[in-house]
Amino acid sequence: MPSDTGSSAPHHDLDPEPQSVEEQLASVTLSVSDGQPSTHQETNGVVLESVNQNTQLVMEEQLQHISVPAGEIDEVRESADRGVVWGRTASEVDMDGLSSPSSSGYAGERGSSSETSGSVIGDVVEQDEIEETRNDVIVDEVSESRTPWLPAKRHVDEDDASISWRKRKKHFFILSNSGKPIYSRYGDEHKLAGFSATLQAIISFVEDGGDCVKLLRAGKHQVVFLVKGPIYLVCISCTEEPYESLKGQLELIYDQMLVILTKSVNRCFEKNPKFDMTPLLGGTDVVFSSLIHSFSWNPATFLHAYTCLPLAYATRQAAGAILQDVADSGVLFAILMSRHKVVSLVGAQKASLHPDDMLLLANFVMSSESFRTSESFSPVCLPRYNPFAFLYAYIHYFDADTYLMLLTTNSDAFYHLKDCRIRIEAVLFKSNVLSEVQRSLIDGGMHIEDLLVDPLTRSESSSHLGQHKPPTESLERLKEPYLGVGGPAGLWHFIYRSIYLDQYVSSEFSSPINTPRQQKRLYRAYQKLFASMHDKGVGPHKTQFRRDENYVLLCWVTQDFELYAAFDPLADKASAIKACNRVCQWVKDVENEIFLLDFIAPSVSFRYTLQE
Amino acid sequence: MATIGHNNINAKLVLLGDMGAGKSSIVLRFVKGQFLEFQESTIGAAFFSQTLAVNDATVKFEIWDTAGQERYHSLAPMYYRGAAAAIIVYDITNEDSFARAKKWVLELQKQGNPNMVVALAGNKADLEDKRKVTAEEARAYAEENNLFFMETSAKTASNVNDMFCEIAKRLPRAQPAPNPAGMVLVDRPSEGSRAAASCCS
Ligand SMILES: Nc1nc2c(ncn2[C@@H]2O[C@H](COP(=O)(O)OP(=O)(O)OP(=O)(O)O)[C@@H](O)[C@H]2O)c(=O)[nH]1
Ligand SMILES: [Mg+2]
Repeated sequence: MPSDTGSSAPHHDLDPEPQSVEEQLASVTLSVSDGQPSTHQETNGVVLESVNQNTQLVMEEQLQHISVPAGEIDEVRESADRGVVWGRTASEVDMDGLSSPSSSGYAGERGSSSETSGSVIGDVVEQDEIEETRNDVIVDEVSESRTPWLPAKRHVDEDDASISWRKRKKHFFILSNSGKPIYSRYGDEHKLAGFSATLQAIISFVEDGGDCVKLLRAGKHQVVFLVKGPIYLVCISCTEEPYESLKGQLELIYDQMLVILTKSVNRCFEKNPKFDMTPLLGGTDVVFSSLIHSFSWNPATFLHAYTCLPLAYATRQAAGAILQDVADSGVLFAILMSRHKVVSLVGAQKASLHPDDMLLLANFVMSSESFRTSESFSPVCLPRYNPFAFLYAYIHYFDADTYLMLLTTNSDAFYHLKDCRIRIEAVLFKSNVLSEVQRSLIDGGMHIEDLLVDPLTRSESSSHLGQHKPPTESLERLKEPYLGVGGPAGLWHFIYRSIYLDQYVSSEFSSPINTPRQQKRLYRAYQKLFASMHDKGVGPHKTQFRRDENYVLLCWVTQDFELYAAFDPLADKASAIKACNRVCQWVKDVENEIFLLDFIAPSVSFRYTLQE
Repeated sequence: MATIGHNNINAKLVLLGDMGAGKSSIVLRFVKGQFLEFQESTIGAAFFSQTLAVNDATVKFEIWDTAGQERYHSLAPMYYRGAAAAIIVYDITNEDSFARAKKWVLELQKQGNPNMVVALAGNKADLEDKRKVTAEEARAYAEENNLFFMETSAKTASNVNDMFCEIAKRLPRAQPAPNPAGMVLVDRPSEGSRAAASCCS
């Protein structure tokens, strides 16, 4: 499991607040069967946002037909006129649910996939309120005789489990446009058929009105929808992340699915709208849960940029040269990575290797234990390169952290790629690249404590990343937790993203941002800042200075780079600005070590100074 | 293809079978002498090599451990094309996996190399109390289809090496000497392989 934060256990996101959006959605469906006019039209419960706003209008017209159980939910704008829709959907799903156990592919699959999810997600919990809801809907619309057909497990008492399911702060679902569950972050997809139907009904109701649902707000919950042809993705979250961020996460989850299956999976739905996709994703729970986990620790997931492992220029050059050699022999992309950081990367068409593809490919490889056992040859799709076609990836780990990926379009290339790997390995070994990589993993990247108050003194130093301490000392520092209070001017952390290079560099975490929880909170703050800076209609030069009880956040966007910096909440604005200028100078000074620079794009430019 | 020269045989061997049947476990037992209680599902296919000494010859197996997951089925020809031997694995506690094994046999009969040595492995033989497929049923099926049959356990190592040895012994016979069409004789440099294991029988 990739983790910069040092937190190996997946986050459970337990919500202390018991009222969940699932309950609120449940109330929506329950209210439909009452069929009484609404008396609550003025309140602020559930609010729906869609691409066109016409759905809103349709719904308001229909509001008189809705009943709202007082005290459960204030307003049910989006459920207008849906007695028929809900009923139909629920019964469809009911039948799918019955057929799926026998048609869900080969035996053993359920066992092995739940093994996987069990070991990764921890508690695999199920919900029961959704089953109840669905049954209530069915009672009105469908004959009672269905009930005995339901698999017995639907009525298993699972209170504790279901409460924890509802308390999860952030759910992700993939479902088909017929309402069949494909993936759920928590709980067994097969038992979420009723819930999937609810989500599907919301989406298709809005679609029937010629619109497309984007977002539904219910109390502190947001339900974000993403429609990708026959596949629907939904996030239910009370993490207060911006809509754009959650939507970006759904896009990544969709693309991760394409990495495994390509977009040609759509054809299965053309042939059979009720197609059950879960067997096709067998054994991949761990890939998705690792991606979802990375949303809270890996800034690449919102920056859309990759990061390099800091290395001496000559070391990276040595690695690049042999990869280039191999790429010239017909390899499409040759990528050497250590954990989620790039050591070197070359390709016949390097420019078209999108950072998101790299993120998803690295996540796929690192989360699948199978690749560590021996050398592998596997089909993979790079959605930004070509979402319809598989490439073939030769994957080999040199040690526990460092792995080589050679990608080709030729399915017969295994022995050639294996020979390439043997050549690469020999060169890496001879030029000590692998041991340098290990050293860099231990030393880490840019430490804010090394940001000098007086930039002139650094020019005398030629050490690793301009550190004014010998590397051995920084090793010591790692062993004993560093007890300082960040860098000069109260600087706690920064991320610098080079726009030309599609790369970013992030400072190492240090006190006081030294727990995974604090790191996650900081990333969420950056993410919010990123979303606001990338809101439509933003000019090329922009700064933001925000102070709250946790931090001072400073963001500076130019045509060439973006800088995100976090300071002590009491930091002085003028000195924070000075520190940002110094960070940019520092990045410029060590760009050879922190970025992959060997192509024509201009290097880090430094023609900007941030002024008050 | 099995390639013969100086009593050194290079043989491509592919493992096919339902997910969870124990293909990777059998290979890991044979190549590394290991067994993992929680073996992860294979992605694509994993490549291994292992050398065996049989009688007066040395057989270097180039082993493709394929993924049993449904999404990889259509890619199987990529791995079994040109194979000299195949092990089709099912799980004796799982009837569906036996049905799946029969489908693989059919596919190889239609698409595969006619001289291929095909073994049928009923794996997880240590789970006798959960057995769903009897040895008699499987043996009868194997005889009908000209397969060589063994029940194995990757967990206890029972019959795992024996199966590879038996395949190694059958290889030259399955390879009538003058058949130049479509044969590629390549002696790949052996790289980093473990010391040649010697055959048990
Ligand atoms: N008791 C017992 N368990 C076994 C045996 N062989 C494999 N297993 C277990 O069965 C599970 C699946 O084994 P794998 O080797 O991963 O199966 P596979 O055929 O490679 O599966 P895929 O890679 O998904 O196609 C693992 O948890 C193994 O520990 C065996 O002989 N006895
Ligand atoms: Mg396997």
